[in-house]
Amino acid sequence: MNSSEKIAWIDGQPLTISTGETILEFTRRHQLNNRIPTLCDDPRLTPFGACRVCSVDVALTADGAVRTVASCHTQIAEGMQIYTNSERITKLRKNIIELVLTDHPLDCLTCEVNGNCELQDVAASVGIRDVRYYQPVNHLNKEKDTSHPYMRMDLSKCINCSRCVRACDEIQGEFVLSMAGRGFESSIIKDDDLLFGDSSCVSCGACAATCPTAAISDVFQSKSNVADETVRTICSYCGVGCNLEVAVKDNKVVSISAPMDAEVNQGHTCLKGRYSFRFYNHPDRLQSPLLKKDGVFEEVSWDEAYSFIEHRLKAIIEANGPDAFAGISSARCTNEENYLMQKFVRAACGTNNIDCCARVCHSPTAFGMQQSFGTGAATNSIAELDETDLMMVTGANPTSAHPVTGAKIKQQAIAGKTLIVIDPVVTELARISDFHIQLKPGTNVAVLNTLLHYIVKHDLVDHAFISERCEDHEEFIRNIEKLDPLEMCEIAGVEPTLLEAAAIAYGSAAKAMSFHGLGVTEHSQGSKTVMLIANIAMLTGNIGRTGVGVNPLRGQNNVQGAADMGCQPHQGAGYLPLSEPENLQYYEDKYGVQSPVTPGLKIPQMFDAALSGDLKALWILGEDVAQTDPNTNHVIAALSNLDLLVVQEIFFSETAKLADVVLPGTSFLEKSGTFTNGERRVQRVQAAVPPLKGTKVDGQIIVDMMNRMGYQQADYDAATVLGEIADVVPFFSGATWENLSDNGKQWPIIADGVDTKILHQESFKGKKGKFHYFDWKETAELQDNSEEFPLILTTSRVLAHYNAATMTRRTANELIVDEDILLINERDARAKGINSGDKTHLYSKRGEVNLTAEISDKVKPGIVFTTFHFPEQMVNNVTSAVVDEETMCPEYKVIAVDIKLA
Amino acid sequence: MSKNISKLTGRKGLRDNLFDRLKTDAVQNGGAGDAEISDHYFVGKSTLLGSRSFYDFLDRAHLNKKAWICNGTSCLCSGDIAGTKSKLEKKLGEGNVGTMTCLGHCYEANSFHYQGRNYSGTQMIGAESPRTYEVRCASDTCILTDSNFSDLVDFQSALENLFKCDRLTVLSVIKDSALRGRGGAGFPAGLKWESCMQVEANTKYVVCNADEGDPGAFSDRYLLEQQSLRVIFGMVVAGWIAGANEGVVYIRAEYPESVSTINHFIQALQSEGLLGDDILGSNFNFDLMVIEGAGAYICGEETALIASIEGRRPEVDVRPPFPTIEGLYKQPTILNNVETFAAIQRILDLGGEAFSAIGTDGSSGTKLVSLDAGFNRPGIIEIEMGMPLSELIFDFAEGFRQATKAIHIGGPLGGLVPIEKISELTVDYETFSQKGFLLGHASLVCIPKSFPMIRYLEHLFEFTKDESCGKCFPCRLGSTRGFEMLQLAATGERLLDKELLSDLLETMEIGSLCALGGGLPLPIKNALQYFEEELSEYFETDDLIKVKQL
Repeated sequence: MNSSEKIAWIDGQPLTISTGETILEFTRRHQLNNRIPTLCDDPRLTPFGACRVCSVDVALTADGAVRTVASCHTQIAEGMQIYTNSERITKLRKNIIELVLTDHPLDCLTCEVNGNCELQDVAASVGIRDVRYYQPVNHLNKEKDTSHPYMRMDLSKCINCSRCVRACDEIQGEFVLSMAGRGFESSIIKDDDLLFGDSSCVSCGACAATCPTAAISDVFQSKSNVADETVRTICSYCGVGCNLEVAVKDNKVVSISAPMDAEVNQGHTCLKGRYSFRFYNHPDRLQSPLLKKDGVFEEVSWDEAYSFIEHRLKAIIEANGPDAFAGISSARCTNEENYLMQKFVRAACGTNNIDCCARVCHSPTAFGMQQSFGTGAATNSIAELDETDLMMVTGANPTSAHPVTGAKIKQQAIAGKTLIVIDPVVTELARISDFHIQLKPGTNVAVLNTLLHYIVKHDLVDHAFISERCEDHEEFIRNIEKLDPLEMCEIAGVEPTLLEAAAIAYGSAAKAMSFHGLGVTEHSQGSKTVMLIANIAMLTGNIGRTGVGVNPLRGQNNVQGAADMGCQPHQGAGYLPLSEPENLQYYEDKYGVQSPVTPGLKIPQMFDAALSGDLKALWILGEDVAQTDPNTNHVIAALSNLDLLVVQEIFFSETAKLADVVLPGTSFLEKSGTFTNGERRVQRVQAAVPPLKGTKVDGQIIVDMMNRMGYQQADYDAATVLGEIADVVPFFSGATWENLSDNGKQWPIIADGVDTKILHQESFKGKKGKFHYFDWKETAELQDNSEEFPLILTTSRVLAHYNAATMTRRTANELIVDEDILLINERDARAKGINSGDKTHLYSKRGEVNLTAEISDKVKPGIVFTTFHFPEQMVNNVTSAVVDEETMCPEYKVIAVDIKLA
Repeated sequence: MSKNISKLTGRKGLRDNLFDRLKTDAVQNGGAGDAEISDHYFVGKSTLLGSRSFYDFLDRAHLNKKAWICNGTSCLCSGDIAGTKSKLEKKLGEGNVGTMTCLGHCYEANSFHYQGRNYSGTQMIGAESPRTYEVRCASDTCILTDSNFSDLVDFQSALENLFKCDRLTVLSVIKDSALRGRGGAGFPAGLKWESCMQVEANTKYVVCNADEGDPGAFSDRYLLEQQSLRVIFGMVVAGWIAGANEGVVYIRAEYPESVSTINHFIQALQSEGLLGDDILGSNFNFDLMVIEGAGAYICGEETALIASIEGRRPEVDVRPPFPTIEGLYKQPTILNNVETFAAIQRILDLGGEAFSAIGTDGSSGTKLVSLDAGFNRPGIIEIEMGMPLSELIFDFAEGFRQATKAIHIGGPLGGLVPIEKISELTVDYETFSQKGFLLGHASLVCIPKSFPMIRYLEHLFEFTKDESCGKCFPCRLGSTRGFEMLQLAATGERLLDKELLSDLLETMEIGSLCALGGGLPLPIKNALQYFEEELSEYFETDDLIKVKQL
């Protein structure tokens, strides 16, 4: 302890204080956690001061007058003497708990949280034996609310600490819960006093997780202590990468919670992470390899399935060359599995025809950011939201698709940080934003160019940054200045004053952080849009420091990792371009076989090649292309034309139906490896339960086939494969299974294990940031089809479901949302005679679907919106074949359609 | 405590405040507008019901009554609640008379609220002028009862003088006056204002706490209705010093005449350009509005009052942050009691030192005292701090109307002063506190000899239980348990367990979040000490305690 440090005394022990902390925070920082009990405190929430159990005696000097204060909201001061266990304090605590127990059932032994109840713990610690009050009025007859698929509420056990209300407010930002009434009669309500099941609850479970008793819980009784063990792993539902704690009993997952020390999610998740796990052992799980014989699938042994594939694949390659084979890897699988998959395709089979679902989502991000910055990944970290001044969210609905990050952005916006949302739909964030630029779908380039124009016009350019760190900006600025902003606004259907004000806000913010999603990438000008977002950040100097940057919200849990591992045709593991001979040599040295030289096919090209007969065999790992890729009929025709389709899946998906061989893989709960989240954080996935009977870990299946194809590869082991990746992928060089530890590391991870929170701090990979200029261009989809199909359909996801919903539909989430709904503006609905609830026929040049309509002001006239979760509806029947000009990412977001009453 | 709800409703600004919207919707539509309102403010429907359900006057059962009779402490002790109620019910029908606590007619201890006005209980519906009260000044220097600040011309010239000064000089006058906040806590006003002035912020507010809820007190009502311009002027000065441009007078709905009077003066000042933009060419913008309460005593606590305006549940918030740093809508706010603001005009007039020369060292200036119907000369009296209590009671109030055993001074949470202690007290903060009492807002309620002390204590617990916001455990649970214990004892069903009652009082006193739960034990303990004999029959004699085994 050096002399400049300020000291306070706790129970006679001198300890250093830190300015601004409360007494409770002070004790926690010094790991005296058991010294002061509390009931209403959750360190993640603002101090509340309700339970008073954390009271301590305090004197300002050694012999000063002592007074009792609540430690949770009393700031520590130099020289303070704190007595945590004086006779008076001990008695106070005991008396408070006694009062609490006058209105609490005394049925601990049969209570769900027996042994894991904060009230029980505190009652035991203060040594309470009796309740002396005579026949106290109470709330013990309150009925339990069991109306919700997941949430449970039993207010007879509520102690009115308001932690649930505050978690709903301060963590999730939903305001579903509140205290109502006054005094002794106050109690928790949901919405305007509805049942959980009827309420607008988003089932994030934050209330249940923080509830100190069993007053709010869930169907899994997550807080009960029945588990044999808990296993820390990573959620597989989106690119946020929430850490989970999986409770396992008798080799079955009984519940999932979130560790409080998780840097990514601080004890929080959405309903998918916390509650939507029952798919993993659903009766629909594939539990045997299936081989199609005479058009009918038969269960066969692994050996028979492998042998069939081996012979057929070897024959195809022999007859047509290796490029007649292609693989599609899965962004839901681990880095190790993705690495092996591309290695299987490249090294064991000899072709570059490997791609992954990044193709249909963020390939323009990876490509565009590489063009601008040299690296195709998020420049900053989500935690920096705390430090930024402005957030710009373009084409993303994170409160639904990336709920934990979405909630964080929402919290910052509510707290007063400026929020710009560029989206054709009034998303939850758009609703509370300062600037909602509700553009016509397909006009991102027009809007971003206009923002750039106004930034230049108002000279909000960081001249020092661009002149030192960037190139091609002079020409870029000349082009931008020439733009007619009014014309662009006309095209986009937005007010020039709104765009100008938003541009001024962005350009003036000391720190601006940009986020984007598939509303940017899934367009014919998707890659160009990404580069324009990069331009805005560079032009205003918002790169290379904390609280700034360009941060794609990656869709699938490991879509960052799948691309990092080389599951794309033009770059190998670690993004080394295969057009460079030295890189081919590099991989040859690593893999011990000659590298294929022919450029590989992207997913849409694979389908075209299958139709034309050039591609004969396709191996699809965990990807339901028949449901999720655009223009379904085209995809089905392509797959049907193959000589060999192998599908590695956990369910009998739409794609599996078309396969020759189906191999039963495993879910994330049954395997180990690593996922890389949207902020480049490589985190450990650890098997919670063994693979379901009859299934194999996907990495092992690939290894088995590599060996069958004559390439020697050791059995799948996460740590070993990660070691191999660290040897091959330069920015993984310092990663080991051990040093990733609980919270993972953000790449680049250099040799000594030091990771990187912020990219491009000094330079852009030793180079300059590059400006690119593009004119806006109307998509061919609208040019060709608008006359016949005058409405524009744009698609997205809902909170309760994940992509094709193969997982979430096999959970109780289906009770929350059970169909894709078509949102229609009132004006269009009137014109077509459609009312909310009507079955509506939606049709495009390609196909048609029937959907239930909902009249909504979330979309402007001329725009309709839906999701694509349900195979019964197959929304992708109508989506187009137009793709991003650079990456062939499909244009899901702009489809010329029309509607009529079905 | 929701910062988020403060920020969200704050986006709409004071003029479009959620609380007014909630009240209008509750009264006119029975809360049917929730969907629209929650969309407008981006808050949850639970937020709206959570707030609405807090207030007595937004409750359907309350709204369905036709008249409301005052059941405050003075009416309980010196009035005839049951008699007045039955007369009213005869006229309005059985079950059509509710209650309000309290209407500030403590000088007559008999009143009711009907069709937006308060009436004296001796007059029945239709009578025009309610009974008035006497206002006297016992000081040579009248500060608050001075009648020379009653028209807009006075107001304008005071403003003109103000704008000639610089802010720091005016602030130092107020600091020199040593004026302590008159709401009860007695925090130096000058320091509070200085603290708010020093915070840099685009938006600041001035809030007048006119939620005088203490039964027995009606001095703020007097100031609001008869010294309105002094109250408003004090707020303008606060705004000018701190750099605030908007203010709220939060007036309890139980004082309809206060609401209409202040509204009248605000409009008059606005139309003369004495409130609004660029007042008298000073470049200073300041405007005021009245927000009416909705029947919740706790809103007199400053953080609850702020929450109320914002449309949050008016639960007591933890401090820090203090309102001067994060107040209304989380912006720096000067929040003072009516009487504090009302003193400002004369302080500027006289100078800070002249004001501080009045009264005692620790309690400067004059203080309004409310004398209830238990005295021979009830009413409002302005006294110099430090006046012997006996002088006040026997010379000015001319003693008691009936045999009296104690005076409850400073509201329900103030001390219970037995008659024999009167001679030991002088009216100032320090003496009261040294002798184990509390001056508070200086209301005096007489407790007649005939009124059983056990019933009085039951009443105090009942008041606290009814008005507890419910947030902190000791107050929510303790006030209910205390009420149950006292009720059982008073009805003879069960004797009091001395140790348990003592534990309960200590738990509330040192454990409660605010002065409601924390303050109640004082009068109870005073009673246990000074009326031990009267109360002894209600206590168990042996120490064997009946316990319920866990």
